[in-house]
Amino acid sequence: MKRQTDQNERADAGAASGVHIEVRNLTKKFGRKLVLDNISLSIEKGKTTVIIGPSGCGKTVLIKHFIVLQRPSTGEVYFDGRRIDRLSERELSRVRMHFGYLFQEGALFDSMSVAENIMFPIKQHFKDVTWRQVEDVVKAKLAMVGLDGFQNYYPANLSGGQRKRVALARAIALNPEVILYDEPTTGLDPIRSDIINELVLKLEKDLNVTSIVVTHDMKSAYKVGDRIVMLHNGKIIADGDADHIRHHPHPTVQQFINGRVGEDDLAVLRMSGAVATSQFLPRDFQQ
Amino acid sequence: MIASLGARAVQDVIEAGRLGRFAWRAATTSARCCLVRETLPLVRNQMNFIGVRSVPVIMITGAFVGMTLAVQAYDQLAGMGLEEHLGVLINLAVVKELGPVLAAVMLAGRVGGALTAELGTMNVTEQIDAVRSMGTDPIRYLVAPRLLACLLLTPILIMYADLMGVIGGAMVSFLQLGINSSAYWKFSAAGVELWDVSIGVAKGFFFGGAIATISCYKGFNCRQGAHGVGQACTEAFVASFISILALNFALAAISKSIYLTFWPLKSLV
Repeated sequence: MKRQTDQNERADAGAASGVHIEVRNLTKKFGRKLVLDNISLSIEKGKTTVIIGPSGCGKTVLIKHFIVLQRPSTGEVYFDGRRIDRLSERELSRVRMHFGYLFQEGALFDSMSVAENIMFPIKQHFKDVTWRQVEDVVKAKLAMVGLDGFQNYYPANLSGGQRKRVALARAIALNPEVILYDEPTTGLDPIRSDIINELVLKLEKDLNVTSIVVTHDMKSAYKVGDRIVMLHNGKIIADGDADHIRHHPHPTVQQFINGRVGEDDLAVLRMSGAVATSQFLPRDFQQ
Repeated sequence: MIASLGARAVQDVIEAGRLGRFAWRAATTSARCCLVRETLPLVRNQMNFIGVRSVPVIMITGAFVGMTLAVQAYDQLAGMGLEEHLGVLINLAVVKELGPVLAAVMLAGRVGGALTAELGTMNVTEQIDAVRSMGTDPIRYLVAPRLLACLLLTPILIMYADLMGVIGGAMVSFLQLGINSSAYWKFSAAGVELWDVSIGVAKGFFFGGAIATISCYKGFNCRQGAHGVGQACTEAFVASFISILALNFALAAISKSIYLTFWPLKSLV
């Protein structure tokens, strides 16, 4: 009873303060490997928060916790002040309707056409809508990402950028309050990356959504982010707006945002290069 | 050595627990879904793949089982002057054991492998996470239709295998071995009871459930990459095959006990 009261108080506090998503003391381990180490983070309503960090530092794992696609080893996850990390999958289904998730590779259903992909969440949750209504929603969502007319294409026939835009159209099919973007510009050329950045900004403005963008593309981070959080070795090492991050004193932050290789990494490269040269000269393979 | 064996045993117990939990969720979700109108198109699609497209290969398997039994058993029976009883031996073996087991093994290879590969690929490309992220239970959307289709269609496919086994055995017996057809059918009818056919077909329900559950579980839990999917397919087939043999043994023992319990009552009916 007391625990329920505490949770209700937290819910009221969370909703009142404009915090949309919150993780408290979140730790995630895979076997013995520690991926997230006691992270506490609040995501504000209506803002775009960018999570940056080197590959493998736990960015994707962190945002999967926001929607409870991963369960924490220890710690708590709140959405609109309500604790969600202990909910059953069936209860979570209702919570997840408030989220849109753009996966790194799109995760489009390859056995379905573009239209069927976007229809999927609508048909799963709204049984009474007519075919015409669904078609109109698909058309509108595709128009938002600039791909109206691609309804009958299959994911295999689309380019990488088009696939991501279709995945984004699917992510916004249910008009979510929160959109999670997992490396939306990775693998795209600079122009298509910028199209995706513009789409993120457009959706924030048009739909007034809370956006969380995981990326290691600093140009994209500076362009779309109201706030930038940097993860390193499973911990948050920097948190603030673009200027704060640009002038952050932490050497790892400066190294990352300027794209400079560290002295330790260079030493390893030089050593491995020396070993390779000494061991595998072409004449070693000649008879 | 002992520590590594112990660790392996603990891992196997954990894996068995996970499979059990998955099977329970799949069974309860399927039970809830089987009466829901929205599930029917999904089940129909799976029935087409699992059932309709498996018919030719199952019929060929059944026919060759019957034909081979005829060739192999003839010499033993002819040596005792009992060649006209060949039909009993072939048909009993086909409908009770070989038809159901070999049809199920063929399904484990054809359908089980495909289910694991499909779900495994969906898993490594985050399509299963995508289903979850859109508020849909992947067990309901992906596993339940496959499980229901396997449960419904494996018994029917076993009937096809039985039918072709009986026809194949009879053809070889009449055309190649020259056995009198009326005697062949007379002894067959006397020796093979409805119970034998029923228990063989009923096994299909359990075999189908095992194939679908194991294949879906392996697909849902496969490791990353092409190697992970390939390995999951192999593991799914091996686990399904062993499950079919173990279930066959258990069902044979149970069905025999039931038969012996109720057999004396048959004369009263």
